[in-house]
Amino acid sequence: MNFTMVRRLILKDWYLQRLPIALSLLGGVAAMAVLVLGGKAGFTLGLILLVTVLVASSAISTTNLTVLERKEQTLPFVMSLPISFREYTAAKLIVILVVFLIPWSVAMGASFAVLALSPTHSQGLIPYVAIMGSEMLMSTCFIAAVGLITESQGWTITAVMIGNVAINGIGYWVAHIEGVSQYMFGPVMRWTPAAGALLFAEYASIALMLGGTFLVQSRKKDFL
Amino acid sequence: MHSDIVISQSDGRPMYQQIMEQIKQRVAVGEWARGAEIPSIRQLAVALQVSVITVKRAYLELEREGVILTQHGKGSIVAPDPGLGQRLYDEELDAHIEQVARLGALLGLGPDQLASRVQEATDQFIAARLAVQGADAARTTKEQE
Amino acid sequence: MNDVESHNDLAVHFEGVGKRYHHFALEKINLELPTGSIMGFIGPNGAGKSTTIRILMGLLHQDAGAVRVLGRNMPDEQAAAKMDIGFVSEDMRLYGAAPLRWHMEFVRSIYPRWDQPYAEELLRRFDLKPEQKIKGLSHGQRVKAALLLALARRPRLLVLDEPTTGLDPVARHEVLAELMAVLADEQRTILFSSHNTLDVEQISDQITFIDRGRIIDSDDKEIFLDRWRRLRLQLPPDGAVPKLPGVIEVGGSGRLPVLTTNRFEPAMVYACNELGATVQAVDTMTLEEIFVANVQRKRTQEEREEVTV
Repeated sequence: MNFTMVRRLILKDWYLQRLPIALSLLGGVAAMAVLVLGGKAGFTLGLILLVTVLVASSAISTTNLTVLERKEQTLPFVMSLPISFREYTAAKLIVILVVFLIPWSVAMGASFAVLALSPTHSQGLIPYVAIMGSEMLMSTCFIAAVGLITESQGWTITAVMIGNVAINGIGYWVAHIEGVSQYMFGPVMRWTPAAGALLFAEYASIALMLGGTFLVQSRKKDFL
Repeated sequence: MHSDIVISQSDGRPMYQQIMEQIKQRVAVGEWARGAEIPSIRQLAVALQVSVITVKRAYLELEREGVILTQHGKGSIVAPDPGLGQRLYDEELDAHIEQVARLGALLGLGPDQLASRVQEATDQFIAARLAVQGADAARTTKEQE
Repeated sequence: MNDVESHNDLAVHFEGVGKRYHHFALEKINLELPTGSIMGFIGPNGAGKSTTIRILMGLLHQDAGAVRVLGRNMPDEQAAAKMDIGFVSEDMRLYGAAPLRWHMEFVRSIYPRWDQPYAEELLRRFDLKPEQKIKGLSHGQRVKAALLLALARRPRLLVLDEPTTGLDPVARHEVLAELMAVLADEQRTILFSSHNTLDVEQISDQITFIDRGRIIDSDDKEIFLDRWRRLRLQLPPDGAVPKLPGVIEVGGSGRLPVLTTNRFEPAMVYACNELGATVQAVDTMTLEEIFVANVQRKRTQEEREEVTV
């Protein structure tokens, strides 16, 4: 694996996506301001805004980074560079993750900080926020996997929609699981085995999806 | 020196012949001086935007006609003396005749037998030549119509 | 003789290459392109030119056969091979939102042999402005931009899929001049596919014809131009068309047949005269005429084979 080329590809995509990245950071900062400064109501509102920004930006940037190369017919140019599909896939996965993880980790960190430090909020929410935050990461990986493997705008948009539905569905379902719902609105943070298992399952899925994408891409025989 | 050669795409003759003719004209009027260096095959190909293989062919034919000489590993020059080509062929002929004499002796052939075999070979060669000239003439007639 | 040596003089070597699709198959593709020469690749639309070129670049994996480019096996060693190959294809686009200068910097950062002074010179010759965004360029300018990026790296092998298609005559002339300039270095090779038989005829050393997924002919250009002729004959009132070897097509009318042959020799004229047919003219054929006649010959042959099977 040629890491120099991977780095150059990442920088290329970073440059080309600089506008959407900047906008999502701006939206994220605005949402966080509401979350941190708006009191109890602001926390909920800010959280919703944050989720919206994260979901929207991950959908847009992931679609841009995967499907667009084929649609804009820049794939022959990229593949004429001294790389194989391994470098191409690695670079794309890394960029997609980085573009998502930067606002995501700041948002998660800010949310945890607010929940942990502010007296008006219930620390019991922390596991739930962790689980749902990880769900968004999982959703992003899912969209990235579909986008890279299918290279089809149709399938990727479907994946985005599935991700959207999932976050609501899973959000509702997790909130009603015994191990989570019991302590969610309590003042103390409690990690139950159920919550732990959920978190583990999410990260295991993420690893599987990333690894699986890489495997499928390396096996691809025709790039054009 | 060589960018003044112009190849016409609408000229019916093969490109290598056009190149040959223009080089011969320049030698004849003295623009390309006797004994002077001429561009390498690749250089001329690039200057004329014509394939290397075409220029190579033109040079080969020109050499055969004694207009230019190619010095192995050193590029090509205009023949310093148009008769030089003649003299080189003469020397070549002498060398071959020497071989004929030697082989004739080895095979036990007398001078008459050798002479008749030379006659045969010359006849065949002329016949083939005539056929080529016939084809060329036919084409020229067509062009004049 | 070890593997590297035996293939040292071939920039591109295809042996028995095949690729199968639903409605189309590339079969028994054999190609040999010596270092330092330029090969023109001609074929009708859908013949398989682009497919062959993509297999050459490792962008498609062949189903059968061996592909070696600059001594490397494709597609396994494609990353290494592409370090020395410049590729421009008709369906290739650069990033519209970025300026040409960004593309130049990007390519320059990857290839150590990037020649900045030459790149600047090409900008002038091709009349391109580096600050301009790609989406603001016309089609011809985009093609020239892509060519600039490939040429300025001084690659050992240039692979071009329809490099002059869609260019105005002036741009075409500029591009051909730059391609020929590449060949001033005898260690550099060019393979290009084109519909434009004039371009191919002018600058190619070798020519390969492809039709319906098969190579139908491949040889030195001068040999093609030498061997293909049209003989215009005049027959006597009760004369028959002379049966000559290597005649592909007989056209013209009853007493004035026109024979197309791909194995012309001066002796043929002799033979025709002997058989009672007067040779009125022996016409050379342009590459375009050879192309069309060659394709028709092959298709007729295939149809005949199908009938007997």
